[in-house]
Amino acid sequence: MTPFTYQRPAELAEAVRLLAAGAATTKLLAGGQSLLLALKERTLRPTCVLSLASLGELTGLRTAADGCLDIGATTTYAALTRSTFSGWHAEIAAVAGNLADRSVRSLATIGGGVCQADPRFDMPTLLTAAGARMRLVSASGERSLAAEEFFDPNGGTRMMASEILTRIWIAAIPALDGLAFEKFRFRAFEAAVVSVACALKLGSDGRIASARIVVGAVAKAPLKAVATAATLVGLRPADLRVEEVGARVAAEVAPLRAGQTLRQCYQSELAICLTARALARAAAQARKH
Amino acid sequence: MARGDSNSMNAHPTPELGQAGCKLVGQSVPRTEDLALLTGTARFIDDVRLPGMLYAKILRSTSAHARIRVNVSKVAGMPGVHGVMTGPDLVGKVKPWGDLMQDLLVGDHFPFAIDKVTFEGQEVAAVVADTKYQALDALEAIVVEYDELPVLVDPEAAIAPGAPLIQEGINYEFGEGNIFDRYRVRIGDIAAAEASADLVVRQRFSSNRQAGAALDPHGCVASYDSFSGMLTVYSSTQSIFMVRDCIADALQLPRNRVRVVAPAVGAGFGSKVQMFAHEVIASIFSMRLGRPVHLVLGRAEIFKCGTARNGQIRHAELFLKKDGRIIGYRDYVIQNSGASSYWGNQVVHIGTNVGLLPYPIPNLHIDGDIVHTNTAPGGALRGFGIPQIIWAKEQLIDMAANALGLDPLQVRHVNTIKRHECPVRTPIGQVVDSTSIDECLQRAADAIGWADKRAHRIPYEGVGLAISMKYTSCRHPSFDTDLSAVRLRLETDGTVTIFSSDVPHGQGHATFLAQIVSDVLGVGFEKITLAPADTANSPFGLGTYASRAAAVLGTACRTAAERLREKIVAIAAHVLEADPRDLETGSDRVYVRGLSDSGLYLENLAGFSAYRTHQLPEGFEPTLEAVATYDTPTEREGPDGSGNFSVTYAGAAHAAHVRVDPTTGRVTILDYVMAHDTGVVINPLIVEGQHQGGFLMGIGMAMGEEYVYDAQGRMLNASFAEYQAPSAADLPELTKLYEIPAPSQTIPGGQKGAGESGTGPVPAVLGNAIADATGVRFTQLPMTADRILIALREKERSKLKVFRYPDDMPDYTGPRDHTAWPKPTGGEGNLFV
Repeated sequence: MTPFTYQRPAELAEAVRLLAAGAATTKLLAGGQSLLLALKERTLRPTCVLSLASLGELTGLRTAADGCLDIGATTTYAALTRSTFSGWHAEIAAVAGNLADRSVRSLATIGGGVCQADPRFDMPTLLTAAGARMRLVSASGERSLAAEEFFDPNGGTRMMASEILTRIWIAAIPALDGLAFEKFRFRAFEAAVVSVACALKLGSDGRIASARIVVGAVAKAPLKAVATAATLVGLRPADLRVEEVGARVAAEVAPLRAGQTLRQCYQSELAICLTARALARAAAQARKH
Repeated sequence: MARGDSNSMNAHPTPELGQAGCKLVGQSVPRTEDLALLTGTARFIDDVRLPGMLYAKILRSTSAHARIRVNVSKVAGMPGVHGVMTGPDLVGKVKPWGDLMQDLLVGDHFPFAIDKVTFEGQEVAAVVADTKYQALDALEAIVVEYDELPVLVDPEAAIAPGAPLIQEGINYEFGEGNIFDRYRVRIGDIAAAEASADLVVRQRFSSNRQAGAALDPHGCVASYDSFSGMLTVYSSTQSIFMVRDCIADALQLPRNRVRVVAPAVGAGFGSKVQMFAHEVIASIFSMRLGRPVHLVLGRAEIFKCGTARNGQIRHAELFLKKDGRIIGYRDYVIQNSGASSYWGNQVVHIGTNVGLLPYPIPNLHIDGDIVHTNTAPGGALRGFGIPQIIWAKEQLIDMAANALGLDPLQVRHVNTIKRHECPVRTPIGQVVDSTSIDECLQRAADAIGWADKRAHRIPYEGVGLAISMKYTSCRHPSFDTDLSAVRLRLETDGTVTIFSSDVPHGQGHATFLAQIVSDVLGVGFEKITLAPADTANSPFGLGTYASRAAAVLGTACRTAAERLREKIVAIAAHVLEADPRDLETGSDRVYVRGLSDSGLYLENLAGFSAYRTHQLPEGFEPTLEAVATYDTPTEREGPDGSGNFSVTYAGAAHAAHVRVDPTTGRVTILDYVMAHDTGVVINPLIVEGQHQGGFLMGIGMAMGEEYVYDAQGRMLNASFAEYQAPSAADLPELTKLYEIPAPSQTIPGGQKGAGESGTGPVPAVLGNAIADATGVRFTQLPMTADRILIALREKERSKLKVFRYPDDMPDYTGPRDHTAWPKPTGGEGNLFV
């Protein structure tokens, strides 16, 4: 075992200071569902483990005055599942309640999962489609990043080593008219082979004003099918040919190529049907408004 | 025990125990093992704690094939370290061991690699320290230099001319190079069969390597007492005497100074039925230090070294007449046994022979090359070669039926052995004493709705059938025995202890043996205890594997109980002044028939025979113990592959109704039927549990599990996170399990084995059902959703009506038809050189 210092500051300011002092070899501990496994397998050997467990600023789930959902980074998936959300916000609870297994969900946090940024995880895909923002705090101040900037296309996140993710902000209900997430995995409890999230916003004419289609696990970060999504603008949700859209999404973000592995071919096929399902559900939600 | 509904409790009424006249054999007595397991109080190997115990860990090779040099110089001063060991330290001090093939020791096993590693995960060094973490830290200080050698992952590459030699310096009796054994069956006249056949179906099938995945890890605690010179080894094993005798031999210790004890063992499935290097390593450390040494493996280690099901390639041909009668079978098997010999070859010998059942095929021509590769060693695993041949043969049946325009159910029915024909000796020499396999087949087909489903087709839904038989224990291939033994002791207070060395690891021995003893002796069920398997006091026996416990151990137990009963009755006759023939046993008493409220309590009788021996009849031997053995009347394999290896055969007929999702390839099992012949069932609850477990292992083999290696022989999925073993949430609920008993005519109590019957048919059933649902015929395992979907897409593009996966994929590089098949390497010359 590589000896390390364990610290559990009571204030965010102290956590930020400790992190600044030893950022390169310090690991933040939230639910530990990734970190503790890595410590056990000896793939990570930090000199300091900094627990976020006592930081009140990272806990809690609130709705701000303007209707934004303000989620503390150390909120567990289980806590999200137990919370009541309205409208398309409920998809966050649904996704939180259907990933990994019950014991993991009781400890793992939405912030931890997002910082780990494993492409097979569900939240990065969902939050990118939802247009979430991540609030980051360090000794030099604070900033926020949109989800699509937060995840690095080469893998991981664009967080600095000295930053702590404190809050995740989800837009108020009126920002979207439908949000749906779909995934495929071989076995219960395991990570997704492909995940897709679709977000739709309608104009006052009932036609699609903007759309986001995000595909996870086919690359090192969630991929947005920008071109295909753009073609949905102006269409009525009821007129969407979802399988056809799915085929174009797959061609855009996970095209079939010579020399691909069986798994990559399969992911391309799955992107079609998962997009179709997610889009159909998002469209159905949108039509209800 | 037909179950029409899903409420299992209603189907297994709890008997009233201990009532006179109420026989427990045949009843679903709840298992006595379960309380400790469910409350977490059972002690497994990792729970063993001895005073002064140290912890050892093994450094394992990260290369699959390399010359090595190991430098342990940095380990000595590290915190908590008490010792370190490598292969060269032990040369000349430890005797190599290995598979015994036809009485000859192969000797390719040693506690560590000496100067060459042959598979990723092979033992390279070990450290013993105060704590396991200090031992792991010390492993990190060991420097291993690897001079990489070319790696052979594929068994066909391993037998190609010029392939590098994996096991050097070993002379095999029947093989050479990387072929360490050959197999040959020649029965009848295959050329005549081919000439007179109306149809020949031919297909190359491959099957996967599958892990035992016992949740309780492999491991041991070795404790050498330097005062008495006694080495005690607690081990998570299926056979204590095999471990004892092999360790004693390897370390050149007298066998009466080596004791092996089994703690609670949390499953084995065949993966714990040999001696492992870690048992020798822990023993040596303990002997050097005079302290107990704990050495339990981690899961990644177990995947890499813990023995697994052998993957096979079978080039199989079935010869039939147009009415569906099978007149011949030809096959060339290439088995990938991994880097060293661990029951690998016997899987081909025994599995092929018994896997031909239930069809008494008159003409057989089978060759096998049993091959080493630089991968994890293959060994015994639930089914022992039968699932692999059934995968091929039962799909050929469907292919033949389709080609002949016959119902696959009818083709099986025409060929299978019928109950009224038994006993029957098949052309290859199996003596089937009894079977209900044809009735099981009919029941499975009826219960799945076979005719109706085939008449009213729904797109992407299909049904499949498969049947197989399983040997109930087997003449041990390396020795010439199939022995189990039981010792019973009536304690001085009327309780009974059962001693057996066949290690229970999920089969419910404590329960079903007590049922037998209770019935014979009339002792209350709760008064009977099974002692832990311990070579110090258990009679010699072979262990628990090959579905042998109920039939072989159960028979030994019944005989021992009958002998003990004779003694008990003789004493009671003397004390009660009655004729022994007028005495009955029951309700913990011996009494005169008809006077069931009188008699002598066994408690008093036992006290009598211990403390009042002077009042016993003249010449009567007081000790209330009885020992009995049972060794099955079976044969060893003949040079032509013939022989009856087993005393009796269990049967299994399965049927599946599946739906395939054409957008994801996911298979949903809508309905699944299992109809078994387990002969006389001692405990229906236990037998049903065995069938469910066998089915689960079959599903894993069929639908998800395989060892994934890169080109360098490194396993990419050596953890339960990646290895696709199904969890309870992934499996269909089984509501249609039927027993159609054809009691064994050779096992005195009529029972047959149950542990492995449920696995054999599963991959073939699902292969047939998926082919029926989609027109995609899988010739490779596992049948994963991604392969199914890609096959469906390619089938649409190719416009083929029947599409074989992977043979008909455009990028397939193997032989697409039999004209491109390889020839067996053995030729026709004498196998015995």
